[in-house]
Amino acid sequence: MDGFPLLSAIVFSPVIGALILLFVPGTNHRAVRWIALGAVLVSFALSLLLLGYDPAGSEFQFREDLPWIDAFGIRYTLGVDGLSVVLVMLTTLLSVVAIVYSWEPIQTKVKAYYATMLLLMVGMLGVFVALDLFLFYVFWEVSLFPMYFVIGIWGGPQRIYATVKFVLYTLVGSLLMLVAILAVVIAHAASGNSLTFSYEALRGFAYTDSLQALAFVAFFLAFAIKVPMWPLHTWLPDAHVEAPTAGSIILAGVLLKLGGYGFLRYNLPLLPDAAISFAPIIIGLAVIAIIYGGLVAMVQPDLKKLVAYSSVSHMGFVMLGTFVFNEQGLQGAIYQMISHGITTGALFLLVGVIYEQTHDRQIAHMGGLNARVPRYAAMFGLFTFASIGLPGLSGFVGEFLVILGAFRYNGLVAAAAMVVVIISAVYMLWMFQRVFFSVPSDWMRKWWPSLRDMNRTEWIALAPLAVLAVVLGVYPGPVLDMISVPVDRIIEAVNGAGLTGFGPLW
Amino acid sequence: MDLLDDLVTLLPELILVALVLVIITVDLFLPRAEKWLLTPLTVAGLILAGAACFVVWDINETVYSGFYVVDDLSVFLKGATILTGILSALFAPAYLLVRRIPLGEFNMILVSALLGMCVLASSSDMITVFLGLELMTMPSYLLTGLHKTDRYSNEGALKYFLLGSFASAIVLFGVAWTYGLTGTTSVAGIASALDGEMSAGILVAMGFLTVGATFKIAAVPFHYWTPDAYQGAPTPITGFLSVGPKLGAFALLIRVFAEALEPLRADWLVIFLVLTVLTMTVGNVVALTQVNLKRMLAYSSIAHTGYIMAGLAAFANATDPGVAAQGIEAVLFYILGYAVMNIAAFAVVGMLQRDTTRFGGLNSFAGLATRAPWRAAAMAVLMLSLTGIPPTVGFFAKLYILLASVDAGLAWLAVIIVLNAALAAFYYLRVIVYMYMRDPEPEPAPIDTSPFGSVALALSVAGVIALGIFPGAVLRFLEESAASLF
Repeated sequence: MDGFPLLSAIVFSPVIGALILLFVPGTNHRAVRWIALGAVLVSFALSLLLLGYDPAGSEFQFREDLPWIDAFGIRYTLGVDGLSVVLVMLTTLLSVVAIVYSWEPIQTKVKAYYATMLLLMVGMLGVFVALDLFLFYVFWEVSLFPMYFVIGIWGGPQRIYATVKFVLYTLVGSLLMLVAILAVVIAHAASGNSLTFSYEALRGFAYTDSLQALAFVAFFLAFAIKVPMWPLHTWLPDAHVEAPTAGSIILAGVLLKLGGYGFLRYNLPLLPDAAISFAPIIIGLAVIAIIYGGLVAMVQPDLKKLVAYSSVSHMGFVMLGTFVFNEQGLQGAIYQMISHGITTGALFLLVGVIYEQTHDRQIAHMGGLNARVPRYAAMFGLFTFASIGLPGLSGFVGEFLVILGAFRYNGLVAAAAMVVVIISAVYMLWMFQRVFFSVPSDWMRKWWPSLRDMNRTEWIALAPLAVLAVVLGVYPGPVLDMISVPVDRIIEAVNGAGLTGFGPLW
Repeated sequence: MDLLDDLVTLLPELILVALVLVIITVDLFLPRAEKWLLTPLTVAGLILAGAACFVVWDINETVYSGFYVVDDLSVFLKGATILTGILSALFAPAYLLVRRIPLGEFNMILVSALLGMCVLASSSDMITVFLGLELMTMPSYLLTGLHKTDRYSNEGALKYFLLGSFASAIVLFGVAWTYGLTGTTSVAGIASALDGEMSAGILVAMGFLTVGATFKIAAVPFHYWTPDAYQGAPTPITGFLSVGPKLGAFALLIRVFAEALEPLRADWLVIFLVLTVLTMTVGNVVALTQVNLKRMLAYSSIAHTGYIMAGLAAFANATDPGVAAQGIEAVLFYILGYAVMNIAAFAVVGMLQRDTTRFGGLNSFAGLATRAPWRAAAMAVLMLSLTGIPPTVGFFAKLYILLASVDAGLAWLAVIIVLNAALAAFYYLRVIVYMYMRDPEPEPAPIDTSPFGSVALALSVAGVIALGIFPGAVLRFLEESAASLF
């Protein structure tokens, strides 16, 4: 396999699929779906080869490095470390799930839909493997616009409002990040180095304190909007409610992780001094997000909105774990990202199952479903518990590690984060009870005869997620091994840093 | 033999002159049904002129007693000029023929305007600058009013003409002041006579030149003629007007401010910074509220002027010559990329005006994706490029400007630029919302599908994407062009 551009193949096989789609008549839905599925399966299969990553070896493996725009020192550099490997695999897996799940719900503009989803994959995968800041930015933007179309064309009644809000929020953040990237690159070049956008070269350079602080804020905005972090989260519930189910799966499962990944890959190692100085503020915001997300989720009448707000809470854990700067916290943050991708992706899928039948998501309109669709209820229960963080399921590991890390940072912070374990149990279990066990509403009785349990496609889409939710819960070892080296490197980069001339900001 | 050598350096201009004459003559003998033949004729001539640009590349000579300079900068600008001409000539016929606007006159006037822009790009003397300027703007007035039976066209032309000639007079007055103070009209002579000394007289001269020149590029607060002129003019011509005269006027700005007034750049920098910020912000804010796409693109073109001016500001603020050159390169790249995408965007608006009662409202774009998927996709790419989204030329052009600004120590300006870009995203994306996320009108506008326009649109979009992914192809030309200033 030497010399085979594995990463390029993973990233661009969806593009090839999309190009083939151009030559298929749009009316042949069957062929369109199979080609799209084939493309993501190829990408997924290739991403399995990344398991050959050797945690003891050099930092970035499967490297590819080609000149691109020489005048600016921009290169096409790809490479993965353990962190990228797990996120790439999560992305390819969830893409397969999303494509499979879309089999029946998507019946309009089928060809355009699958082409857009494939392009979305390219952007997301590219972000995780790019090692050149220019290339990273290009992929970052490429991942934004397909989602804009997915929500705007195949979304619900308020889709245009939701998608414009989504895109403008994200765009403001990412454009500011572009300026920060340029500022960092130029500061690096100004001290006699050649102009380069290479991540490895720019990392570890001693940027001045004021540049670090400003650039940190710009990067922070871009990633915090994506995560999304309270108080920049308001686009998320709208986007989720209006997005088609598969769009929600990808949005919650992968797009939010781009923000978390950005913090781990760029904010901390590039600007460690600023990261240390800003950490208390960010930890404060993260704790607010954790509790706020939980409390707001509790009162949501809409099932999908409830899951969306629970994302805000869960991603708050990711931010908390990231900024306590210790091994448990960082490992927990990464683990929480993976786990959240799987459980929340699955929950959105399950919400989609009932929505496809009744075209309604009001919790008050449901009830007693356990009697009518028991298998569906069982799966929903599994992921409800995984989301709460029941020991033995994937959610537990991440939350536990993050809280452990938070304790080492500050007992009060950890105590505050602990509260949400109760809150999340309240909103998830209460929701579960109202949907599956209470007396069926009059509204739901209308649908009673026509309700069906999960069909084959839905099972196929859901099965891998269910298996992973359990496996990652009882046997986290392999993933933790994979991410322990990157985590150590991040801690190493941050350790001993701290803005000298800038001073604390509070 | 000297004369002949000098003539060779004028090859692109000579071809354009010949082309004007050929078009007039051929037009006389073509029967009405075959007038469309003028388009391939014009395009062929322009391609020939474009090829001639490669002949004069790297000559770097000043000819005609210092009145005319053929350096790489001028040749690059001429190439860009001719490219805009080719695109405009291809996009126009379908729109014009439906409205019975004579094609021969259009082509002839268009090529004359191109000639003026070429002269402007090459001028190394204030007299030539003014000559080029007038040769460019006179045909522009005519083009605006080419639709004689349309009162909006007449209104736009009249406004453009009145305000435009006023601005020309102001430029001329500035030239006169400069001559009075320095005793020369030569660009290089002025630069050496000024020598960084600021005086009240020079301030007045600079003021006049700035007002006149920024009027021509339609910078705020001298932009009021733009929306009316752009909306009134026949749509494909609007595309040309939003790019061509702007390109020429930036050539003027480079020649006058970056060359003749270069010693005073710290002084005009302040004015330029204010105008830059004002121009992009006002352009974008006003564009937000437009429901007519022609007007929206007109205001957005004002905003783009602001971005381009930021490149000049970076030039003026730079201490290192390499960084200053980067500012000029950014200006040139932006003009090139902007020319392609904006002409094509206007052309798509024009294609939806096959029905002569349509005025380019946003509504005619509703549901375009289902009616004309390829045109909608092309328009979507152009809108994303105008927003500045990778991988399109618009993104790289903006990146270039941002890089030059940050490098020159104007990071705050870069922040203002990106905030403006986010603002602009709102109205550009609204076009995509209409095309992709709304249903067509009950009686949708018929779409023009003439082959010239389709080919030109495909070429433009391919160029927008190709230059976005591989901008390296033109960077070498840019570097050599900018180097001729230093």
